[in-house]
Amino acid sequence: MDYIILSIILLGIGVYGLLTKRHLLKIFISVELIAIAATLNFVMLAGQGLGEAFLILAFSTDTAVSAVILALLVVISKKYGTSDITEVVKMEKESEVEID
Amino acid sequence: MIFEILSIGLIVSACLALFLDEVVPSVSALAGTFIFISVIYALNGAIFAAVFQFAIGIGTIAVLFLSGEMLSEKPKKKTSQLTVAGIIGGGLALSLPAVLLSVSGSTGAVFSEVSLGDALWNMRGFDVVLQGLVIMTIAVGIFIVLYKKRSGGK
Repeated sequence: MDYIILSIILLGIGVYGLLTKRHLLKIFISVELIAIAATLNFVMLAGQGLGEAFLILAFSTDTAVSAVILALLVVISKKYGTSDITEVVKMEKESEVEID
Repeated sequence: MIFEILSIGLIVSACLALFLDEVVPSVSALAGTFIFISVIYALNGAIFAAVFQFAIGIGTIAVLFLSGEMLSEKPKKKTSQLTVAGIIGGGLALSLPAVLLSVSGSTGAVFSEVSLGDALWNMRGFDVVLQGLVIMTIAVGIFIVLYKKRSGGK
């Protein structure tokens, strides 16, 4: 049982989701998985005390990132009626062409 | 043996959270991921990390349940059981390297001087856990009310 490999696998799943998924909720889940992979490394490898101090710092950053993504989800869903980034970009381009 | 089972559960629930199309099962699987990682921390002696992870996980899940159900559009077709079985199989296959291989040579266990009882009762960790449970209960209640309103029930 090796926590480094476990962390790498979690990181891989998160990065894969970040690159392939287009729904904002799935992107949020991917970011959470990447954060879990990072905090797992902090706790298991940095030892007690220092590791947990890093963990609290990582949690605060992670929470801020989560808040930004959720705010984006709310704003984009209200404005465009969808959470799919590809569709949002398409709508944005169409509106730019109409303005031109 | 328990760490291997927890690791497999962690990877499988992470895969389910990412690849399931419906919001509620996906967020539920993410809750499973948070619970598995908290238990791994607790069993390794990192009680503070476990309590923080659990509390933050509960908050995240509560917000995700609400925002996901209210703002996301429903998928056109339901995920088939074959797809779910495939995702679970993929997760099991992905978790095998973590269980069987070793690159660091250490188990990564953290030695803690604080017992679980101390962390929960003397250092007010129990309050944080209870706050998380209260927020989770409120969120689940609001979710049920909204879901009934959406489906036309009273």
